Amino acid sequence: MPESVPASLIIDTLKDTFREARKELAAEVAEPPQHSHLGWILSVPDTHQKTVLAALDKEEQIRVLTCATEDEAATIAGGLYIGGEPVVLMIQHAGLYASVNTLRGVAMDGRIPTFYMIGLLSREKDKAPRESRHSMVRYCEPLLDTFGIPHATLEGPDDVHYIPEYYRLSRQRKGPAVVLVGLETA
Amino acid sequence: MAADAKTHEMKPMKPEEVLRLIAAQRGAAICVPTMTTGPEWRAIAPNDLSVGCVGFMGGASSLGLGLALARPDRRVLVLDGDGSLLMQLGSLATIAGAAPRNLVHFLFKNGVYQTSGAQWIPGGLTVDFVTMARGAGYRAALAIHDIEDFRKRLPEILTMEGPVFVELHTGLAEQTPMTARGGVPFPEQVTNLRAKLLRPRATA
Repeated sequence: MPESVPASLIIDTLKDTFREARKELAAEVAEPPQHSHLGWILSVPDTHQKTVLAALDKEEQIRVLTCATEDEAATIAGGLYIGGEPVVLMIQHAGLYASVNTLRGVAMDGRIPTFYMIGLLSREKDKAPRESRHSMVRYCEPLLDTFGIPHATLEGPDDVHYIPEYYRLSRQRKGPAVVLVGLETA
Repeated sequence: MAADAKTHEMKPMKPEEVLRLIAAQRGAAICVPTMTTGPEWRAIAPNDLSVGCVGFMGGASSLGLGLALARPDRRVLVLDGDGSLLMQLGSLATIAGAAPRNLVHFLFKNGVYQTSGAQWIPGGLTVDFVTMARGAGYRAALAIHDIEDFRKRLPEILTMEGPVFVELHTGLAEQTPMTARGGVPFPEQVTNLRAKLLRPRATA
């Protein structure tokens, strides 16, 4: 059975992911951006990841920008990427559906590495997301598959390794990669 | 309505003239053109610190915000359109919330979706974007109707603490992305600008 992932574990993993991204960029370019923070979370608040967002409020090493829409979040992420900043988008499945054209135009056609953490709000613990009785849960993986976007699902604390892996994958593929958050974070 | 009447009394600025003034004074600013500002900007400022919002209409302000947050050492100038901004109007609040001191958001207001055939935008010329930007929380928001006034005020605008919003009352552009196709594809613009900003070691 899937388990909730503690917010603290996700945040520690994000910090490590950002550190690694900055280290790699510093090895690749002569003028990496110089900031005191590690990276950015662009969020359109997600009920499913609300414990993470609450804990991030107290974090000084990660900057959080709340966006009005997921279209904005994906596009701001593009600008941050061009400027050399590590970014993670935290949204929910409904926001993915709302911003499909931006996902296509910016991350896919623009070949901009864009890493998403997408909460599967209302996902039933005893069902695979594709079997959910809620359309917003059920259609998420098929939509990502249709667009050829690689994705994995956090089904418990042991799965947090997907965060740096799919972050790296977005960089390697120069496009979007997604980690779905299976259950509400603890 | 008042805004409509005022606009009709005055001769709108030519967007090409406005863009040429900006190009002459921008210095090392990063620029983000979109839609009808794209073709002329491409001609004025080819292969420079610019990235066009192409293929995701409405995204110029957000793309500019991301750049401004990543590179606070540089000015970022967004060359937006009124129809485009309406597609991500919430970005006014997001920009104001992030409060980048280095962002200037120029809005070329012509009241229409020129690229798709000049259909009126919702509300046409009566939409007051200055009030919206001010209400969202931009540090400054102003409208300019006259090219000589713009010429005089531009140096100050480019040094003001951002985010600054400037509504420019312009006529139709000579070219649109549909009549002047081509230019560097968006992914290459991204790669080029990123390389100019970060200087990959292989080419440094």
